[in-house]
Amino acid sequence: MIEPYLRELEAELGAVGIRGSLRRRILAETADHLHESGDATSFGEPKLVAFRFADELATSGARRVAFTSFLALAPAGIAYTVLVGLIRTWPDIASARLLPVAIGAALAMVLAPQVAFAAGLLTVAQAWRLRSETSAPAAEVTLLRRRAAVALGSGVAAFAGIAVYAYEYSSGLAGWWATTAFVVSGAALIPIGGAAVALARNAQVRPQAAGSAGDVFDDVAPIVDRIPLNLRGRPWRFCLLVATAVAVAALIGGGLDEGPRNAVAEFVAVCVAFAALGRFLGLRH
Amino acid sequence: MRAETLKGHLDFLLLAIVADEPAHGYRIIEALKRRSAGAFDLPEGTVYPALHRLEQSGLLASSWASGSGRRRRVYRLTARGRRALAGARREWRGFTKAVEAVVA
Repeated sequence: MIEPYLRELEAELGAVGIRGSLRRRILAETADHLHESGDATSFGEPKLVAFRFADELATSGARRVAFTSFLALAPAGIAYTVLVGLIRTWPDIASARLLPVAIGAALAMVLAPQVAFAAGLLTVAQAWRLRSETSAPAAEVTLLRRRAAVALGSGVAAFAGIAVYAYEYSSGLAGWWATTAFVVSGAALIPIGGAAVALARNAQVRPQAAGSAGDVFDDVAPIVDRIPLNLRGRPWRFCLLVATAVAVAALIGGGLDEGPRNAVAEFVAVCVAFAALGRFLGLRH
Repeated sequence: MRAETLKGHLDFLLLAIVADEPAHGYRIIEALKRRSAGAFDLPEGTVYPALHRLEQSGLLASSWASGSGRRRRVYRLTARGRRALAGARREWRGFTKAVEAVVA
């Protein structure tokens, strides 16, 4: 009676993505329990037990990975800002070793950190909203993983971009800056890579709980609900508000020379990113 | 008692049981039944995911031990778990006191 139960539980755990040492441990604990109790029926149906494991471990694991990702990206973001701030004179765009590669690196340098920042904030806001959930709906866990993946992937793109940029424009940049860029990029990729591995491991477990995922208005409800613009359920209005705020920041930061151009570029970039990633990141349905 | 009623309190109950002494899953479930006079008679397999989750959250730690000729996983409370339990106890006492004051 015990052996057939364990075999069925083993199959059900595999079906929800729980394999390897974790599955062996669960089976060993179950075997010990069943030998003590002698009653497999009171343990619960194998499928339901496997679902319960998947739901609980996926939820708590994804939440932990979300916070870990944020902790990996936050200091990396500060290092990035300092590093870029240390460039006194930007090299001539045509002085690159290979121009198309250099342009790609420059774009990654400019856009990827912003996507990483936004996705990282969304990730941590959602993880905080789910902080007391023992088993969130599968859709919610999937969204949390997606946001973390985009944040980490953009973080990698940002630092890869800055390293390639330093190489491509090494003739026009100070030697110490290029060396620092390589070192900082390498150092930043270690915690980001660690978080990515943890995310990949968590993503193997497939939660089963029914229900829908929340959206950005649930994640940032304490802020959104205080803005008297009736934003809930109006994602594009929310997008325009964020794009305007970013554009104003770019206008102020860029001064009279570059401010207006940067503001327009940032406004467009936020709207394009919202259109491209909005559904994927749960910003709009 | 319905499992739904227990939802939200299971972590607190498990931490309280393990706080007394390190124990393996079967013993924890038996203690849960015994100390609640049978009120908390859950499907036993549902307790293990909670134990794993509490360990993943750093509130419990576990290690293998040998007993009755079998390997068994023994859970114990961590320092973080002890703090969480103290907080949950304070919250629970405040809650029951307030409910009692209203319904008594």
